[in-house]
Amino acid sequence: MTTPASPGSPPRSAARHHHHPPAIDRFTLTYLHRELRGRLRQALLIAVGLGLGVGLVITVTAASASLSSAQSTVLHSLYGIGTNLTITKSSNPAADRPGGGLQQADALQPTSSGLFPSTTVTSVSRLAHVASASGGLQLSQLTQSRGIPQATPVEGVDPAHPDLGPLPSDTLTAGRTLRPTDRDSNVAVVDSGYAASNRLSAGSTITLGGATLHVVGIVSPQNAGVTDIYIPLATAQAIVRSSDGTSLTGRVNVIYVAAGKSTLIPAVQTEVTRLLSNVTVTSSSDLARQISGSLSSAATLTNALGRWVAATTLVAAFAVASLLTIAAVTRRVREFGTLKALGWSSKRIITQVMSESLAIGVIGAAIGITLGFAGASLVDVIAPKLSATVPESSEASNTTTTIAVRLAAHVSLTAVAAATVLALAGALIAGSIGAWRATRLQPASAFAEVQ
Amino acid sequence: MYTLTDVTKTYRKGHHTVTALEDLNLAIAQGEWLAVQGRTGSGKTTLLQLLGALDHPSGGVINFDGRDLARLPETDMTEVRADSIGFVFQTFNLIPTLSAQENVEAALIPQRLSADQRRQRAAEALASVGLAERASHLPSEMSGGQQQRAGIARALVKEPRVLLADEPTGNLDVDTRDEIIALLEALWRDRGLTLVLVTHDTSIASRAQRVATMHDGHLSMATDEQAQPDPASGGRNRPGRQ
Repeated sequence: MTTPASPGSPPRSAARHHHHPPAIDRFTLTYLHRELRGRLRQALLIAVGLGLGVGLVITVTAASASLSSAQSTVLHSLYGIGTNLTITKSSNPAADRPGGGLQQADALQPTSSGLFPSTTVTSVSRLAHVASASGGLQLSQLTQSRGIPQATPVEGVDPAHPDLGPLPSDTLTAGRTLRPTDRDSNVAVVDSGYAASNRLSAGSTITLGGATLHVVGIVSPQNAGVTDIYIPLATAQAIVRSSDGTSLTGRVNVIYVAAGKSTLIPAVQTEVTRLLSNVTVTSSSDLARQISGSLSSAATLTNALGRWVAATTLVAAFAVASLLTIAAVTRRVREFGTLKALGWSSKRIITQVMSESLAIGVIGAAIGITLGFAGASLVDVIAPKLSATVPESSEASNTTTTIAVRLAAHVSLTAVAAATVLALAGALIAGSIGAWRATRLQPASAFAEVQ
Repeated sequence: MYTLTDVTKTYRKGHHTVTALEDLNLAIAQGEWLAVQGRTGSGKTTLLQLLGALDHPSGGVINFDGRDLARLPETDMTEVRADSIGFVFQTFNLIPTLSAQENVEAALIPQRLSADQRRQRAAEALASVGLAERASHLPSEMSGGQQQRAGIARALVKEPRVLLADEPTGNLDVDTRDEIIALLEALWRDRGLTLVLVTHDTSIASRAQRVATMHDGHLSMATDEQAQPDPASGGRNRPGRQ
């Protein structure tokens, strides 16, 4: 070995200004980088563990959100996004139906609901906590196809209130929707499924109740199965066929109501019940409680079991990360003891351990977000077709509507942000425990373990 | 520099109490080279830890330049270690993921130096021990002797007043051992360090100015007649200073 160079310059007389270095400096980052690279397998193990927990939370949250969204859409497709309440008449459907008795073939007639005069709509709209109200006429066109009767659901909607009723929740795919100027025009907007079955497009004509209507638009509803044809209310009132010739002008069989605020819905329910007798007032929550079918079951399962599984996995991931971090610190007893012998403060050592854990948390968050997106996509691919069975809005009716539901699991920005926070929190918890372990080491006892 | 008065250190090991040091009295002058010999378990490492402010004694006084290390809180002990004391370990204790340069820089972290200042001083320290060409090497890429040189550079880069070496040649072969001891001796002489070196090797101990012997927690000083110069070291055993 070569003779060492002259050992020394005279001692520097530098003043000892120290003990308050910046929290994270270049050396910390270098040390952090080297540690992660040197113990890559362990770092990845902790990060993957955190990522799995976080990814599962994102997936379950996305699935739960899609089921909630599907449920909301089911409800909205019945009476629209802006509608908080529907009012129907609780009465003998046969007595109220013009002409009474059996529905005639090729007839356009109201469904089995009682009728209100349009003035009732005005009275409801003037209630204290009501923002707006509009009337509708739910109809059914009975036709014969190869001897088999078919009922086509039709609804007369008020174009002056585009924010109420079932039409706003649908997506326009061709042409236009109904305008206020269409008040009593012979125009119609049809469902895309009905249009496809009957080879209709914007500009086509259809016959309803003996009247010829021009199709001005085609809508693609979020969920199929409720209404096939939308026409202006006044047009519906004019063309509805009655066996005794009674006109339905000025009459509706459903009233859609928007409350001033969602918190006022119960108050509006009470006001309507006081104003009108023999009516059924149904809110979205009332309808939600009545929804059954596989959609409802899936939502219940996801909310109960899915979230419990995700929470348990997350806690397990945090625990594993903490244990692995403690194990890593224990293996570095000599290293931390040496640093203490060199004069490193406990605060500095804590900063080092926490920085390493934070870096692992960032990696874990990235893994978790990736897994979450993959999980949500998997839900879209493998989720079975679900359906929701909803009773008709009239109490007097025992009929139900089954609506097919398409799930679209969507990872929101909020979920991504929450996942990042979760992963970092898990890493910081693990790092805190590890740092506490490291600072508990006495420099002397650390040496005693290795010498 | 050091005055130890009736220093005692006991440990709890399970249900037993182990006395590592008992009523130890010792004075170490500034610039002195003291060797401490003894069998394994005699208490020499414990003595070194107390001198290095790594632990508190169970009883007695450790006066280090007017400060009683036995009564200092942990934050002050850390300050003493950061400023005044350098350690050289038997197992080198280099951080395995950092290069030689970075290991030496680690000793300067407690001091408010810029990254450039730290880097420059570390480079100079490595050069002073003949390790400039290994600055970017990891410990796993260096021989035992090179690692110990890096350890010495790390101990001296902050210009301590005291250098405590715990069996610095214990893991080295004979030739490397002699080189390291020669290096330590040269550094001690040129920098005016106070050097306390623990060893079980009599030939190394004989190169010191004074030799203390630990036996079952008790310390005794070797007389001039008892200190046997090692011909291999050039017989540098000097008369002891009390």
